[in-house]
Amino acid sequence: MSVVAETQHVVRRRRFDTDDRWMISLVVLLVAELLYFNFGISTFWGGGWGTSYSFLGYGESFLFTSMIALGVMFVIFTGDIDLSVGYMAAFAGIMMAEFHIGGMNIWIATVLSIALCAVIGLIQGLVITYFKLESLLVTLAGGFILNSAAVAWEGPVPPYGFPHSYDSALGSGDISGTIQIPNQLIVFAVLAVIATLVVHRTRFGRQLVLVGHNRQAAAYAGVRVSATRVKAFVLSATFSAVAGMCIAANYGTARDDLAPTLLLTAITCVVLGGVDIFGGGGRVPGVIIATFVMGWLAPGLLQDNVNDTWATLIAPGTLLLAALTIKGIVDRRQGVSFRAKTLARFGPGSPTSAHADAGDAPGTGAT
Amino acid sequence: MSVIVKRARAAAALASDRTAEEYAPARYEARTITKSFGGANALTGASVTIEPGEIHTLVGENGAGKSTMLKVMAGIHPQDSGDLVLNGTHLRGLTPRTAIGHGIYLVPQEPSLMLTLSALENLFVGIIPRGSMAFSVDWKAMESSAGAYFQQVGLHIDPWAPASQLSIAEQQLLECARALAHRCNVIFFDEPTSPLTAREADVLFELMRRLRERNFTIAFISHRLEEVLAISDRITVLRDSRVVAHFDNPKQTSHRQLVEAMVGHEIAVRQRRQRDLSGAEAVLELKDLGAPDGAFADISFMARRGEVLGLAGLVGSGRTETAESVFGMRRASGTVLLAGKPYAHRSPSSSIESGLIYLPEDRGHNGVFANVEVVRNITAAFVPHLPKRGQLLHPRAEVEVAEKAARRTRVVAPSLDVPMKALSGGNQQRAMFARWLLAEPKVAIFDEPTRGVDVGAKVDIYGIIDTISDSGVAVVMISSELEELVLLCDRVLAIYEGRIVGEVTGDEITLERLGAMVVGGGASERD
Amino acid sequence: MLVVVTLAIFGLTSAAQPHFALQGNISFLLASAMPLAVVAVGETVVMLVRGIDLSVAPVLGIAAVSTGFIAQDSHVSVLSMLPLALAIGIGLGFVNGLFVTYARIPPIIATLGTFTVYGGIEQLICNSRTVVTLPTSWINLGTHDFLPDVPYILVPGVLVTIAMALILWRTRWGRSIYAFGANAEAAFRAGIRVKAIEISAYTVCGMLAGLAGLIYVVQVGSAGYNTGSEISIQLQAIACGLIGGTTLTGGKGGVVGSFFAAIFLTVALEGVIVAGIAYQWQSAGVGVLLLVAILIDAYQNRQGRSVSEALRSVLGGHKPVQQEASS
Repeated sequence: MSVVAETQHVVRRRRFDTDDRWMISLVVLLVAELLYFNFGISTFWGGGWGTSYSFLGYGESFLFTSMIALGVMFVIFTGDIDLSVGYMAAFAGIMMAEFHIGGMNIWIATVLSIALCAVIGLIQGLVITYFKLESLLVTLAGGFILNSAAVAWEGPVPPYGFPHSYDSALGSGDISGTIQIPNQLIVFAVLAVIATLVVHRTRFGRQLVLVGHNRQAAAYAGVRVSATRVKAFVLSATFSAVAGMCIAANYGTARDDLAPTLLLTAITCVVLGGVDIFGGGGRVPGVIIATFVMGWLAPGLLQDNVNDTWATLIAPGTLLLAALTIKGIVDRRQGVSFRAKTLARFGPGSPTSAHADAGDAPGTGAT
Repeated sequence: MSVIVKRARAAAALASDRTAEEYAPARYEARTITKSFGGANALTGASVTIEPGEIHTLVGENGAGKSTMLKVMAGIHPQDSGDLVLNGTHLRGLTPRTAIGHGIYLVPQEPSLMLTLSALENLFVGIIPRGSMAFSVDWKAMESSAGAYFQQVGLHIDPWAPASQLSIAEQQLLECARALAHRCNVIFFDEPTSPLTAREADVLFELMRRLRERNFTIAFISHRLEEVLAISDRITVLRDSRVVAHFDNPKQTSHRQLVEAMVGHEIAVRQRRQRDLSGAEAVLELKDLGAPDGAFADISFMARRGEVLGLAGLVGSGRTETAESVFGMRRASGTVLLAGKPYAHRSPSSSIESGLIYLPEDRGHNGVFANVEVVRNITAAFVPHLPKRGQLLHPRAEVEVAEKAARRTRVVAPSLDVPMKALSGGNQQRAMFARWLLAEPKVAIFDEPTRGVDVGAKVDIYGIIDTISDSGVAVVMISSELEELVLLCDRVLAIYEGRIVGEVTGDEITLERLGAMVVGGGASERD
Repeated sequence: MLVVVTLAIFGLTSAAQPHFALQGNISFLLASAMPLAVVAVGETVVMLVRGIDLSVAPVLGIAAVSTGFIAQDSHVSVLSMLPLALAIGIGLGFVNGLFVTYARIPPIIATLGTFTVYGGIEQLICNSRTVVTLPTSWINLGTHDFLPDVPYILVPGVLVTIAMALILWRTRWGRSIYAFGANAEAAFRAGIRVKAIEISAYTVCGMLAGLAGLIYVVQVGSAGYNTGSEISIQLQAIACGLIGGTTLTGGKGGVVGSFFAAIFLTVALEGVIVAGIAYQWQSAGVGVLLLVAILIDAYQNRQGRSVSEALRSVLGGHKPVQQEASS
């Protein structure tokens, strides 16, 4: 006999889940920010839509960071982290420049550099998954090594002197028209669409998210966990390398000094975008919106005559901490405990310890 | 707040001065406790009174609220409303710290010790005795007094050994010793026996009886109704967050009465199926499978088409390790044949591709994605075959696939779009079955498929296993509950200390026989 | 074991470059390891509670520039600046603890956030000035030895390490740190005030970073807007903790190992330079050492014991597991 009555499944989207609400808040924040700067700063809209003095034009000062954010996002989705992204971008730019100075066609140099960075990402991913190391520390070490390599390679003066067409294409050029759209914005848009579709609409993306939510369960469900994680590191390195090209083109010279800022801002964007730092949860469009919130913050504040330190360090850091504090409160109301997740993730590795952490496992619930 | 802290300190100071015999009998009452987690009610106006000198058992299906009740009473979860009254004194703002001050301690289901620290330190954690110097810890005093507590619970271990070297049973006893060292005389046991073997559980019951004689106040939770009826002085039944029944005389209560109170209606008694499958072809064959770490060795058996093959064994006997090696989660030496063909280079993904599936034992860690929608939980093992439109996934088609599978296994959910953690244990397991049925298995290994699920879900799961074995799937069923092996299996193998020690078929499968085999007595009885 | 490796590196480098072993150089090496050693001791406490603190670099920086500027402007004594350095560290560390414990932000991200904010504060304090002209008494303290090859600077480092080692081993607070790190849930159930313990760990870490700031400015004699962050001292400190036998999973290890690891790291990095490798590769050196350290950590986790314990058991010695690991 049956104990359960015939069941009816109502498969519908709940109207707004936590991720939706987070994204709506971000949009509101973005609009508020733009309005504030609009009324507060006469020059924010500059010489009209999309001239190089307007808010779209500011894109050149942050869109490469947004690209890095998209890259590191893949890794954060799997529950890992990649701290080498800033140095990777710097290294990629210097590699491209040195290849170019060495006589290579600049576009071939660009493609080759991106490919080599992807290989470096692959190596980092393999080291992490094969030796079962904490990604935080491996990519930190990797970042140091890349930094040394970049500084040593470039010598006393950073390489410069790219063809004008290159600087324009990836750097400061626009598509003219009624609205001037910076070329970088186009590059970013392409990457953003790719990232969104890959994460939310492909089999790989699904595996990425499942691995982030519960690595063990993903393995038992037949997901190739290590391969998925490695792919995320490759994507992260690739996106960073593309960003590195844009930086080089934008400033007309490869720069090694931006790396730490790039890293911090990129991670701030991802976390502010609502991606769970422990993996799994979150949406790519959230990250895209967050990169604009963060991106316009510094130039907007600077225009508003705010001190440089406040605009570039204290405001973004405070925003990150405030956003996470709020997210923590929201999640706790939903019954997700950060602490439980911390313990689940950093649980001791020995087999007997599985018992010790059982109580913290998500989903065991109350009995 | 500060009053409570002061009171707790005073109580703790007092406690450290009195000897075991001087405990005042403690009558502990929980009055109309209500507690909810994220909107879901775990307890609704539930009341329990535990008298000194009794073993008071809470029973109920999963999610009924019994564990929450004890956790509230031990200060682990604060209640939303209701009162906790110890010997007429209201306890307000209880935390584990103040609860211990009042002599209340909860021994959890899974021992949670500090594994990197010594047994000694685990015993005294939180109440480390002060030495002669200010702020100094008196290791010598700790070492000399530890022996007495270990002895009281029947533990014979090196106090300096790290807790990670203790067996689960020893860890459980160490938890009990900690309760005594903390001078607690109100001790709760939250499903302490589920990770233990029958013999180890007996040791624990013996300890509980001794504590009862010393007039301790004891509460107990268990899913094993036989042991509940054997040891309890009183039983309280919870259902859907409420107290629904009391049994003041367990000796005159039947198993069936208890179950019906738990589920709220009558249940049908299941009959064994009688089938002869000796002629069916073997779809899974293991030859001399051995683990590199020695968890199991020389495992050889085969499973036939349409057969339900039981693997009986204690926790730690190597049964899960064997299954995981076949599935590809672990490495092993030896050969596995799948449908007659050798299957080397095993991995979960290739196993699933070739129709070999494994439902893991630890659902919380290895099965569900708690924060992911039920739909995606169901399709998790189906990702390489998810319907696509062009190059991209087709979400609506995916929902249809999942919905169909959920209907087959009777998943009850407000919507398949809610996160998995919103479902009860039983429904989570139904969704797990839906996941694995999507893979269209030829061989299905189910590891403890009914662990932590309620009686209703159990019946459903038995039905699913019947159906898929009738459709020709070879089912390998691992279970600690021998009753369910007797009910479901056509053939049962017993594993003891990593080796197969016996095999029984058809009417030979009896509780007594299996009970003897899992502790290593199978081989001799076969002759 | 670490001591042996350090001596070996020192010996090899001296053999290659004889001036490396000159008397002044040993003293200089020890002294220049002290800021890192003190930060590493604090970082170890946080690692013991399963945390990580990336903000120690700007905390050190803020303490260094604050005390440095006051000394530069009004010639106060070093000791009179000690309370200020400690107070800065305690305050900033406590804020870290609040974010981790009450806002429940994962430590890595919380301290990454405070790293940025504190870095900003450090810049604001500097306001494009730098500490360059310290009073003579400060310079003397930073450069003189009180015994041959034993600089004054060594004293606070050693004292802090011994004190912390004793506190961790012999006080209830210390044992609670270990208990929390080994299993926070169990510690809570056993009646330990887990939030207070976790916050106190970050506070102590901040306090020692503040102290390290004072030691730094005395030893180096200058400080600026990026003191601390420029040499990524937070990462070096984590590396020291790992090399010294403390695990990232908490509840295991000790500060003595971290102290020696700091000396080891300093000698090794200095050795890289003396051996004639371009200074640009120093950062790569930290990276490689960090990789080696985490490989050792992973090995320890897999084997369930530390490398030094393994070595000890091979050599026949036996010590209870909860002794301070690997010195």
